[in-house]
Amino acid sequence: MAANQDDYPKPRPALSALNRPYWEALRRREFVLQRCGECAMRWYPPAPLCPRCWSRRIEWAPASGRGRVSSWVVFHQSYFRGFDAEIPYNVAEVELEEGPRLLTNLVGIRNEEIRAGMEVEVVFDEAAPDLTLAKFRPRRASA
Amino acid sequence: MPPFELKDRAAIAGAGASAYGRRLMRSAIDLAADAIAAALDDAGLARERLDGMIVTFGSPIGADADTLAQVLNLKLRAYNQTWAHGRFTASAIQWAALMVAGGMADYVACLASVSFSGLRRPMMGGAGDSEGGREAGGSHGEDPVFGMTSPGAGAALVARRYFERYGATSAQLAAIPVAFRKHAALNPAAIMREPFSVGDHQASRFVCEPLHLLDYCLINDGAACVIVTSAERARDLRKPPVYIAGMQPLPAGREEFIWAYPGFGVAQQSVFDYEPGEQPVYRMAGVGPRDIDALFTYDAFSILAWIALERFGFCQPGEAAAFTQAGRIELGGALPMNVNGGLLSEAHIMGWNHQVEIVRQLRGECGPRQVAGAKVIQWANAYGDSLIYHR
Repeated sequence: MAANQDDYPKPRPALSALNRPYWEALRRREFVLQRCGECAMRWYPPAPLCPRCWSRRIEWAPASGRGRVSSWVVFHQSYFRGFDAEIPYNVAEVELEEGPRLLTNLVGIRNEEIRAGMEVEVVFDEAAPDLTLAKFRPRRASA
Repeated sequence: MPPFELKDRAAIAGAGASAYGRRLMRSAIDLAADAIAAALDDAGLARERLDGMIVTFGSPIGADADTLAQVLNLKLRAYNQTWAHGRFTASAIQWAALMVAGGMADYVACLASVSFSGLRRPMMGGAGDSEGGREAGGSHGEDPVFGMTSPGAGAALVARRYFERYGATSAQLAAIPVAFRKHAALNPAAIMREPFSVGDHQASRFVCEPLHLLDYCLINDGAACVIVTSAERARDLRKPPVYIAGMQPLPAGREEFIWAYPGFGVAQQSVFDYEPGEQPVYRMAGVGPRDIDALFTYDAFSILAWIALERFGFCQPGEAAAFTQAGRIELGGALPMNVNGGLLSEAHIMGWNHQVEIVRQLRGECGPRQVAGAKVIQWANAYGDSLIYHR
């Protein structure tokens, strides 16, 4: 999972000791978030302790992978050559059922159809042999 | 009670700037030298007297304080600087006021100098996105893995949420850049001086939707500087002092996102109805929003003006879209804003050009764009800090 020299044209995550379990879980097609062993808080991005109670007793635990779109933008300008073919591409902020918000790309939907509050669910995008991204798609009516 | 009262203890004694331009092809140090010399001359102060400096927006884009001291052959007793980020203007002036009150320095040059044309590659946005590369993500919401990059994208996220939450529109938001461009048309130093209409704004291309090109500030070269000293010393210098009556520091935390007030629900903010409550800057200065003759704000993106107005209680959350229509924020309106043209049209000198304009307005030096009878002017920002100046 090292930042090897490959053909993946987009920015890779900056791996650290803190966030490595998150990215390794995605490669197993598991969506996980940290959880506090004292107060049960869930949060993102990864932190070395519970932001609420500062407990160090924290664990990576499965998360629902479900949430709602809280806001979104559409990029019309080129910033990364690896994204150029997808312009205009969306970036959405998804509020997970567990509370944290994360940034992602919405798939399976046209940009014009994105709405605030729409229900979405995680989809595992195997972007490169050693890199799986958590993207989101509109949640199917009967899950 | 604080151990000592800072209200009106410090003042701006001089203000100066370099030329501003899109591509001056001059270095940040070169431009900073012009701004510092102009500010010292404005104050009537010999450079040997300058013994403190605070630089915001240092490496890798700006001119660093230690380098400037060496190049300009200054003997600084005290200096400080921030990382290359725009939000620290009020902080620098507040620290300078503390420095002079505490005797650490007598005359503190506070400035930023930028030379975007001198950069080999962009630092914010795209492949050189060092903000997005920070350990827990960028402070404007950058996440390059998903193509989320540049400060403007974080502002676009706020704008979309604002539109959805309050039913406001991009055409209403156009009132901000349209007003500031009208002001810039009266300012010979401004880079962009040709007025445009709401229709022109709507027709300008999207950069990061819902923000149009004309919602974005300039990327440019230039430097601006003010000299902070004690009120007593300032009274002995060339120009009338501009007193610093109120200060509100820059907050941080999970409920703070740089482009939104708490409760807005972006990044990791909770969602609740924000109430401005009593802002410390008004209590310290002994005035309220209705006493403000002109308001200046960090307008890197037009939406930030709405957020600042609501954050400080000029209007209620959700009301800024209507509040800013019909000329209210234009010269001659009830609350003129950014009468220099702002970052959107004068120049993006990290808010230092605004400080220079505030000083000149309070001295009555601004000719056709002078706010008649201006006595109290506020600098107040979407990210929560503020200064109140008076003559």
